[in-house]
Amino acid sequence: MTVAPPLANPLRAGPRLGRTPQPCALVIFGGTGDLTSRKIVPALYNLALQRLLPAAFAVVAAARHSISPERYRETLHADLLEFSRTKPINEDVWRSFAENVHYVTTKDESGYDVLRERLADLDVRAGTNGNRLFYLATPPSAYEPIIDMLKAHRLTENVNARVVIEKPFGQDLASASALSKKLQGVFTEDEIFRIDHYLGKETVQNILVLRFANGIFEPVWNRQYVDHVQITVAESLGIEERAAYYEQAGTLRDIVQNHLLQLVALVGMEPPVSFDANAVRDEKLKVLRAIRPIAPADTAQHVVRGQYGRGFVEGMPAAAYREEQGISPTSTTDTFVAIRAFIDNWRWEGTPFYLRTGKRLPKRSTEIAIQFRAAPHAVFSREAAEDMEPNALVLRIQPDEGISLKFGAKVPVQGIRIRSVNMDFVYGASFMVDAPDAYETLILDALRGDATLFTRQDEVEQQWRFVDLIARAWSEGHGDLPLYPAGTWGPAEADLLIARDGRAWRNA
Amino acid sequence: MIEDRIDEAVWGKRAEGVAALELELARMRRSVNAHAREQGVAVARASVLNLVVFATRDVHARRAAATIDDLAMRHPSRAIVVLADRRREGIAPGLQMHCRQSQPGGREQVSCEHILIRARGDVDDRIASAVIPLLLPDLPVFLWWTGTPPLDAPHFEELVGLADRLIVDSGDFARPAGTLPRLHAVARAGHGRHGLTDFNWTRITAWRELVSQFFDVPAWRPFLDGVTGLRIGFSVDADGREIHPSQALLLLGWFASRLGWRAVESLAPSEAGGLLFAMQRADGQEIQTRVRPRFMRGIDEGNLSGLRIQATDGSRHAEFVVKRVEDSPHATTTVIIDGRVIAERLVPLGRPGVSELLGEELTIARSDAIYEDALAALVALA
Repeated sequence: MTVAPPLANPLRAGPRLGRTPQPCALVIFGGTGDLTSRKIVPALYNLALQRLLPAAFAVVAAARHSISPERYRETLHADLLEFSRTKPINEDVWRSFAENVHYVTTKDESGYDVLRERLADLDVRAGTNGNRLFYLATPPSAYEPIIDMLKAHRLTENVNARVVIEKPFGQDLASASALSKKLQGVFTEDEIFRIDHYLGKETVQNILVLRFANGIFEPVWNRQYVDHVQITVAESLGIEERAAYYEQAGTLRDIVQNHLLQLVALVGMEPPVSFDANAVRDEKLKVLRAIRPIAPADTAQHVVRGQYGRGFVEGMPAAAYREEQGISPTSTTDTFVAIRAFIDNWRWEGTPFYLRTGKRLPKRSTEIAIQFRAAPHAVFSREAAEDMEPNALVLRIQPDEGISLKFGAKVPVQGIRIRSVNMDFVYGASFMVDAPDAYETLILDALRGDATLFTRQDEVEQQWRFVDLIARAWSEGHGDLPLYPAGTWGPAEADLLIARDGRAWRNA
Repeated sequence: MIEDRIDEAVWGKRAEGVAALELELARMRRSVNAHAREQGVAVARASVLNLVVFATRDVHARRAAATIDDLAMRHPSRAIVVLADRRREGIAPGLQMHCRQSQPGGREQVSCEHILIRARGDVDDRIASAVIPLLLPDLPVFLWWTGTPPLDAPHFEELVGLADRLIVDSGDFARPAGTLPRLHAVARAGHGRHGLTDFNWTRITAWRELVSQFFDVPAWRPFLDGVTGLRIGFSVDADGREIHPSQALLLLGWFASRLGWRAVESLAPSEAGGLLFAMQRADGQEIQTRVRPRFMRGIDEGNLSGLRIQATDGSRHAEFVVKRVEDSPHATTTVIIDGRVIAERLVPLGRPGVSELLGEELTIARSDAIYEDALAALVALA
C-alpha cells in the first residue's frame, strides 16, 4: 500500500537544514473540539512561523457540525488568539496558513466519501502526494467508529497513511488491546502514533541525553550506588472541566498508567543500541516488564490513594473533590496516588522507586530525584557532618527545567564543618523564545514518521497490566481512601509509606 | 575611532595585569553571591564556552558586548573583547584590561564575566599572550573576528590557533568577492582544528530552507535536475553605493556545490553592481545565473531580496520564486508551472539580529561542510 519513495533532495543537507517533513495532508477528526483549538492548531501555526511545515501541506478538519469553511477558520483564529504560545499573532502568516485549512462535515457516512475525494484532489492540486496523517482528536468513544469508517470508505487504500491517537488508550488492559486490534485492522503498528505529551517535553527527552550521552552518570546509575528513586508529578490544579472523565479514570488511570510509568521507564531502562524508535521502545518495554506487580493482598502496603478535601491552594480557597461540579458527593475516585515500586532486574534489584502524583497539591512540579547512598565510612566526626544530606541528582521536568546535584562541601571556617550545596544547571530552554511546545515536537515527529517519542502498543499494555492489578484490589476493598486537605502533599499515609523504610519525601 | 578614555560603565573597572584581573573577578563573584543570598537565590557561575571578540572599531566592540549580554542566559560564557587601537602617535603602547560581571535579563541566577583587553599602539604580537591565561580551561573557544580578517597577519593566526571556531561576518568585508574565496583556504587549513562560519551564511539559512522545501515535494523534485536559469537579488541603498553581494554569492555557491554546477566563464559585471555567470549543469546543459542589486525598502544592504529558479522537466516549464515582501519580515514562495501559479504561500523570514545569529552559531559547535563546499564553488567562479 505504499507509494514509491521520493527522489532524494540534494539541497537538503548539512546541520542547519533539517526537520521539515515530507508533503502531507493532516486530517483532524474532532476538528471543532478543544484539543484542536487549544493544542493542535496553535502548534501548527507555530510550526509555520518557524518555517517547519512542508511547501505542500494541507489541513482537513472533519467534525459533525455543519459550518462553512470560512466560519470554521474564523473560530480557529479566535482560539489561536487565546492559545498560541507566541503572541501577538502574525496575521499574514496565519492567513497564508489558513488558506490551506479545509473543513468537511462528517455528520453522516457520505461525509467520508467527500473527505476521500477532497484528499485525492489535494494530492494532485496541493502536491500532498498520497501522504496523510489522520489525527483522532475526538473523545475516545469516537475512535472505533472513525476507524471503521476509514476502512469502509477506503480512506487508507493506496496511500501512505498514519494515525495519531491521544490518551486514554483504553480504560484497562482488555479495552486497550481491543482498541489496538481495531487500529491494526487498518494500520500497521509502525503507522500508529500514540501521543503521551510528556514524552514531547524537552526535559523528558533530556533524561535520555543525560543518561546515555554522558559517561559519568551511567556507572553509578544502579542499585550499588543509588539508595532509592523518587518521582513526583504534582499538580496544583483540580479537575477543571473534566469531571465526567475523571470520575471514571481517577489519577491512577489518568497519570500513573502513562506519564508516571513512562518516567519510570526512562529513568530505569538499559541503554538502547541506538536512538531509533524501536531500539528505544524495546528497552522501555523491558524495564516496564520488570516492574514487580503488586498483588491485591499487598496493595495496602505498597500503594496509598487519597482524595482532596477542602483547603487552600496558592492562596485561594479550594473546594473538596466531592463538591466539584459534576462529581458525586460520595465519590471514591482517587485524586492522589503514591506507590512504592520495585524493578526486578540486575540493575535495580532492591532499590525502591517511590512514585507520587496528585491533584490539588501545593504546587505544580514534576521532578525525578536519584538519591545516592551515603559514603561507606564516616571519616568526619558526627558533629562536622550533621548538616550533610545524602547526595542527590535531581532532574526537574517542570517548571524551571534543569538538573541539580547535591553534594557536601566544607564550610569555609576553621575546622571541619560540612554542609550540603547544590550545583545547578538551568536549561536555557525556559528562557529561549524558541523552546517548542510538546505538541509542536510531537506533531512534527508524526508528520515525519519518527515514532521514537510515541508509545508502542506493547508498552501501553504492560502499563495497564501493572495498573489493572491495583485498580482491581481497590475495587475489591483493599486500601482505604483517606482525604487530604487541598494544598498539602497528600494524606499522612503517603508519608508513612516511605517513612517505614526510614526515608522521607523530598520537598519537590 | 576609538576614544581615549574607556567607558567604565560598559567595560568595568581597570585592572593592572592578568593576576589583578583574576583577583577582581573573584571579588565580584563573592559580592554577587552575597547579594544574591540576601535575595534568597543562588548564583551559578555557569560557563559553557569562551568567547573572544576581536575588534578594531569601538562600535564593533560595543555591539559585541551588548550581544554577549543578550546571550548570557543561553550561552553563559567567559567573554574577552580585544579592542585594538592602531594609532601609534602620542600613546604609550601596551595592553590595558578591564572587567565586569553581568546578570543577564536582571536575573541573578547566572553570572557572566566580561573582560576588555585594549591594545594600544603596535602591540599585536602581545595580544595572544594576554588572552591565553584568561581562557577558562576545558571549554571551547569561539573567536569572533569583526571586520575583514587580516588573513596573513601573525596575530590573526595566533588567535585562530587558540580557537575551536572562527566566526566572521562577510557582510562587514570590504571586498567580499575577493575575500570570500580566500576564506576557503582558511577553512581548509583549519580542518581538524577549528571550524569556520560566517554570519552571512546563517542569514541565508531561511532562504536555503525555503528553496529546499520546494524540492521536497515529489511532484516538483524532477525540476531540480533541469534548472536552466537562476536569478538572485540582493538589496542596496537608494544610491546604489553600498554594494554587498556576499549573501547572494554564498547562495550561488551553495546551488553550484549541491547540484554539481561548473563555472564556464565569469562574465564581466553586468548592470550596476550586478554579476553574470555562465555555468553548466552536471549533464552539460547551460545555466544562466545572474546576481543583481536591487533597491528595496526595509531591508539592510546586502540581504537577499529574492530569487527565481527556472527549470524544465523535459515537457513542462516551471519557475520557483522566493521574494521578500517590501517593508515586511516576510517572503512569498511561489511555484509556477507552464505559466500557472500552482502554489503560493507567505512565510516569515524574520530579521535576525546579531544576538540571534551568534546564538545560532554557538549551538553548532562543529564546522559546516556545506558552507565550505559553497566557498569552494566560489573559488572556481572568482
